[in-house]
Order: sequence, then structure tokens, then C-alpha cells
Amino acid sequence: MLQATGLTKSFGGVRAVHGLSLAVPEKSIFALIGPNGAGKSTTLNLLSGVYQPNAGSLSFEGRDLVGMPSYRRVRLGLARTFQKIRLFKQLTLLENVLAGFHIRQDTPFWKYLAFGDTGRFRDEARELLDLVGLGAHAKERAGALPYGQQRMLEIARALATRPKLFMLDEPAAGLNGAEVEVLLNILRETARRGVTLLVVEHNMDLVMNVAERVFVMDHGVPLFEGTPREVQANPAVIEAYLGGEFAA
Amino acid sequence: MTRRWIYLALAILVITALPWLVTSSYWRGILVICAMNVLLALALNLVIGYTGQLNLGQSAFFAIGAYVSTILMKTYGWNFWLAAFAAVVAAGFLGLALAAFAVRLRGHYLAIASLGFAVITYQVLINWDSVTEGVRGIYGILPPVGNTVALFYVVAGIAILVYFVLDNLVHSPVGDTLRAIREDEISAASLGVNGAIWKAFAFGLGAGIAGLAGCFYPGFVGTLVPDAFNIVESFTMMAMVIVGGMGTMIGPVIGAIVLTILPEFLRGFGELRLMIYGLALTLVVLFLPGGIASCFKRPG
Amino acid sequence: MSDIVALAVQQTLNGVYLGCLYVMVALGLTLIYGVLNQINFAHADFVTVGAFTAFFAATRFATKVLGMPDAAAYLFSIVAAFGMGALLGLLINAAVFAPLRERGDELRPLIATIGVSVLLENAQLALFGPVPYQFDSPFARETIRIGRIFFTGQSVLVIAVSAASIGALYAFMRFTFLGKALRAVAQDRETAGLMGINPGLLIGLTIVIASALAGMAGALLGPVLVLSPFAGASVIVKAFAIVIIGGFGNMQGTIIAGILVGIIEAFTVQYLGSGLIDLVVFVLLLAMLVVRPTGLIAEHKEENV
Repeated sequence: MLQATGLTKSFGGVRAVHGLSLAVPEKSIFALIGPNGAGKSTTLNLLSGVYQPNAGSLSFEGRDLVGMPSYRRVRLGLARTFQKIRLFKQLTLLENVLAGFHIRQDTPFWKYLAFGDTGRFRDEARELLDLVGLGAHAKERAGALPYGQQRMLEIARALATRPKLFMLDEPAAGLNGAEVEVLLNILRETARRGVTLLVVEHNMDLVMNVAERVFVMDHGVPLFEGTPREVQANPAVIEAYLGGEFAA
Repeated sequence: MTRRWIYLALAILVITALPWLVTSSYWRGILVICAMNVLLALALNLVIGYTGQLNLGQSAFFAIGAYVSTILMKTYGWNFWLAAFAAVVAAGFLGLALAAFAVRLRGHYLAIASLGFAVITYQVLINWDSVTEGVRGIYGILPPVGNTVALFYVVAGIAILVYFVLDNLVHSPVGDTLRAIREDEISAASLGVNGAIWKAFAFGLGAGIAGLAGCFYPGFVGTLVPDAFNIVESFTMMAMVIVGGMGTMIGPVIGAIVLTILPEFLRGFGELRLMIYGLALTLVVLFLPGGIASCFKRPG
Repeated sequence: MSDIVALAVQQTLNGVYLGCLYVMVALGLTLIYGVLNQINFAHADFVTVGAFTAFFAATRFATKVLGMPDAAAYLFSIVAAFGMGALLGLLINAAVFAPLRERGDELRPLIATIGVSVLLENAQLALFGPVPYQFDSPFARETIRIGRIFFTGQSVLVIAVSAASIGALYAFMRFTFLGKALRAVAQDRETAGLMGINPGLLIGLTIVIASALAGMAGALLGPVLVLSPFAGASVIVKAFAIVIIGGFGNMQGTIIAGILVGIIEAFTVQYLGSGLIDLVVFVLLLAMLVVRPTGLIAEHKEENV
């Protein structure tokens, strides 16, 4: 579904990602892991269009993505969340999720000028909030939510775009054990509904419990790819993670 | 939904009644200026309050509206309404030009670029005197309707219409999109929002409305000189939006009315009364960031 | 010396003189931005206040009350303006900047400074009236001539004072503890705070220094400006242009940009007439913002997501 070949990205002389090739199969749960500084977030940014690669090719369902700005990729069915939560803090939860319906709005413009909002997506927005367990807080300000719930809101909002491929950047970061469980369930439910998932993660529990394929990278280059079991046993991966993160 | 119609009816009632309550011609003139300022504040609020773009260049669009309409009428004999239409379109296009900067710049940079834009426009108006008469000014401009009361009705009527349309807009998904851009543009892009196009929309619309206000100004005053459009106007407009309550619909209206009328009551203080703008703005920013409108907001 | 070369040198010299004046104004702005990450829209009005202070200090106080000769009175007025600028900076910092510091909002402090700017302009309007004052510096009357090049005593004074100020500022930042602490706060406020440096105090100090410079610039600019309460408006956007062209927070860039703008202005006046100065400078500014918004010298940072 998503195909990257030889991706390279440098920032003023520092090579963040080099010669990265990966393929995300449809309807799978794909994990991208690696130690700190491996270039995982950079890769996600390249895939979602926040950065453009210096070299390499990238395609989604056959469409070439290189040069395409991020907002256009969303229309193709790519959605993402951010490592540093980027919510619309001053808006309510409901308003945040409603913003996610942007690409699905097809009411002609003049109708808004004359009649205002028809409230078409309100019900679906509420459904998404219920999915992540935030239905009761719909009218609260997003900035007032505790961290874990903000993360859930971000997911609900991204899902509003009805993605085919949903990419999450370290969704479990900062979440406690119970919240990780909730996250796992949401991810499983999303996958069940036919969405392909790409999860960049540090947290091994999450990866091992949910992922079907795992891609390991280090220092900006690919290291190994396989099933979670294979990855756990691979010596090169263990060495890269030397320092105990693997055991977390 | 019905509450909005009630408010609308009330507003129309008040506006119709005002010229009967206010009988001195001086104060009727103030009413006209009030209506113009409401339009200007609404326009600026759309760009800065809802779309989050720090635009200090609105005085340029106000000027374009005034000059284009006046020149078309005086030099080419156009009818007022046609000239006004052309002026609004011209202002709108200029707004798109400024939007091009907004796409690449943020925050402070945009503020200064827009200010520079306003200064350039001002300088062009002064220097291109073969067309604009520069500092000499254009004289003997007639308003589109005979007397002040009628003019007030026209401008206030337009203000109500603009308010209605903008109100619909900001409560629609378009408003959601603009607010998304205001809050976090990268995040909005991850939801499929094309920031550039929507900024262009906001700037263009804001510029057009300011231009529309500008069309009525020369006729009201009778003469047209560039000095009426120097960058201090941009600051005054900003004061109105902020003091009234940025990011709400009623805020700019309140701010425009308060800051137009209050200095008049302070005439006893001489020139010190103009300090009200700076004072109000500073105090509001320090102590009442939501502006006057925030006093009326229902909590939660 | 041929005509054209002589003219070019003369204009360049005029440009440097003008440029020094602009640098004095812009330096304070860039200092505040470097430490506070904020733009002080009221900065140019500090310049105007400085100019008025200098005017009254020189013409009413120093000569009439103290009986100083003109030249000394002018020098005295420069000091007075410096002091007034510092005082104003102290007040504004205490009343406006400090209270807003914690909120972390980019917009509110900016708008507060707009409010202060409008306030100052109208206060001066109320006090001094809209009619411009004529501020003559005794140094402007002396002309010095080297070959075919003319200077006035004023231009020498301005260039000397500017150079001295820049030198003093540089030395302060580089060699004194306070200066280094200031640079630390500019780089990373939180960490500096953790190291025992009081950021609030230092930020206040920066604003006082910047405002004092602005005030002094006003005294030096007085004879060149049209001295009315709105003199600030004509200077401020140019000052911003210089700060942007030189790079926000970048002192060397600002100095280079200031001199550059001065020279450009001098040549524009010569060949295109004075009406077009502002136009040329701002078109340049906009072009700069499009091409290199981070300034001539600053680096390009891709936003960290």
C-alpha cells in the first residue's frame, strides 16, 4: 500500500535518514521501532509530507507522493498523529473532531453564507469521541484535558478523515499502563474496521501485542524487518537497543 | 436558531430608531463613522481573530476602497455603486497579494510585512499623484445618498448584512477550518486543510470588506487625502477588535462602537481623549484579554 | 577626484551617517527581541520621547536655566534623553512586559506594545501639539571639508557616539558577567534561570538598555527628523525593516543592515528624490521577507515537529 525506496533526508549536513526502503502492506498493523535518534519521527514526517525527501521515491496505492504537500496526502487517505500533541487547545473536543471532517465537506460554499452550518457530521463526531472514551467531555476545552486523554482526542480527530493508512507517532509516550490498554483496544478496533496502521513506537509492550510486522531502524538506516518474535530474537536489534530500552 | 432572528430584528429596530433619537447633525455623522468602523473591525477580526493571521495592513485596503471608487467616479464618471463594486474587487485582489506573504510568514514577520505593505500602499497613494492627486487631495466628492441619515441607513444596513453573512460563515465548517489554521497550521494540514488557500480566502474577504467601508468614507467627508489612511489606522482598528473581544462576532461590533463613541464623550479633556485608544488597548490586554465581549460569555 | 566618485563618496558618507542613526534605533529593537522574543511596537515612540526630552533639555533647560553654551547643551540633552529612555523602559517593563511574561502568549505582549505606542503618541500629542518643532543642533552648523567631501560636525558626532555605544555594548556583552548572563538568558531562559541567573531582572535590564539607546537615538535624530508626536511612525517601520534584514536578535546583522539602509536611502534621495525613500526601503523589506525571512546572517531552521 505504502512504498518507500531509498528515502534520504538531511538537515544542514546532518543525515537523519539515509537509503530507507520500506513497504507497508494493506490492512496490516506495521510498527516502526528503533532507539532514540534513529530517525523514526523524521521518517514519519517524510511519509506524511511534513518533510520532503532529498532523494528517494515514495508512493501510496500507486500514486507518487514526492513533492506532494501534506494536506493533499490526507485526501488520498493518509492520516497521522504527532509525537508532541498538536491539538487545537482553545477549541472544544467536539470542535477539534469536527475539524477533522474538513476533507469530507462537500456542501457548496454559498450555502454556508446564507444558511450556516447544517451540522451534518455532528453525530459521527460524537461517535468518534465515544470510541475513544471522551464522549462525556465533548463541550470541554481541549487544553484542559489530562495528557492521556489529549492523546485519545488526537486519534479521534485523525480518524474523522476516514483514513486508509493511519500513522501514529509514539502514541503511547507519556501514557500510564491503563491508558496504554485503552490505546491498544482503540488500535485493534481501528484495524478491525479495515484501517492499515503504521505505529512508530518506543514502548515494546505495544509493539509486541499489536504489530504484525516490525521494521527496525537505527542511525537513519534500516536494520531489520520481521515479525515481532523475529525482531525480539535478532542479535543486531538487541545490540542496537543496548541500554535496556528493549526490556521496557 | 430563532434567537438569532430575534437579535437581528432587534438590531434592525435599533438602527432604524437611532437617527430619530440622535438629532444633531454632528452626532449623526458619528453614527456613520460608527457603522464604518464596525465594518472595518469585522473585517480585521475575520483575519486576525478567526484565522489567526497578524494583519496590520488593513488600512491599505480601506484606502484602496476609498481611492478606487472615488477616482472611478470623478475621473471616469462611473456610478457610485459600480465604482464601489470595482473598488471592493480591487481591494480583495490586493488582499490576496498580502495573503501570499501570509503563506510564508508567521507571527512577528507577518505583522511587520503587513505593516510594510500598508506603508507601501500609503506611499504609492502619495507619490502617484497623477492619478491620486497625492497630498493635494481630491475635493468635492459627493456621497451616494443625499443626507446623513440616509447614508447611515445604507452603511449600517450593509454592516448588518456583512455581520449576518460572516456569522453564518464562522459557525459553519468554514469557520472550523479557519480556526484550525489559527490554532495550529501543521496540525490542520494533517487533517487535509490547505492553509494557503484558506488564508487567501480570509485575507481577500477581509480586504474586500475593508474596501467596502472605504467606499463610503470620501463621500461622507467630502475630500480625500492620503493622510486619512496612514498606518495609525491599522492600529486603531486593532484596538477596536481587541477591546471588543477578538475571535467573537459581537466583539468587533462592541469595540468599534465603544471606541468611536467614547472619545466623543471625553471631548472635555482636549487632546488627551485620544489616549483612550492606547489606554483601552493596553488595559484590556493586561486585564481583560477576551475583551468586553468576554464579560457576557456564558461560562463553560 | 572626479565628479562621480566625489558624489559617490559623499553620498556613502551621508548614508553611513544616516545608517548610524538607524542602527541606534534598531539595536534596541533587536536586543529586546533577542532576549524576550518579542517585538516592541512602542520602541520608535521611545525615540520620539527621547527627541522631545532632548529638545526641551537643550533649548529650555540647559541654556536658559543652567546657562550652558549651545554645544554643551546639546551634549547634555543627549545624556538626558538617554536617561529618559531608560526610565521609560523601566516603567513599561514593570507595567506591561513583566506581568505578561509568564503567559507564554505571542500575541498579547505584541498588542500591549501597540497599545503603549498609541498611548505614547497621543500623550505627546496632548502635551506638545501636532505642529512639528524645530530642533537645531549647534553641531549641524559647522562644516568640515576634506577635499571635495563635506561633513557637518553633527555627522561626526553621531558617528562617534554610535561607534562608542556599539563598542560599549559589545564589550558589555562579551566581557562582563552581566553581559554573558544576558546572552545566556537570550539563548535559553529556563536553563539560565536554573543556573542562578534571575531572568526577570536581566530582561528588565535589557529593556532599560534598549530603551536608553532609543532615547539617545532620539536626541541624535532630533535635528534630522520632523519632530512631531508622530515622528515615531515614520521611523518604526524602517527600524523593523532593518531588524528583519539583519536578522532578528542578531546584533552584527542589524548594524550592517542599518548602515546599508542608510546608504540606500542616501543614494535614493540623490537619484530618485526624497518622496520615494520609504517606498524603496519597504519594497526591499518585503523582498527580503520573501527571499530570506531569517535575515542576511541568521541560519535557516526547519520547524521541529
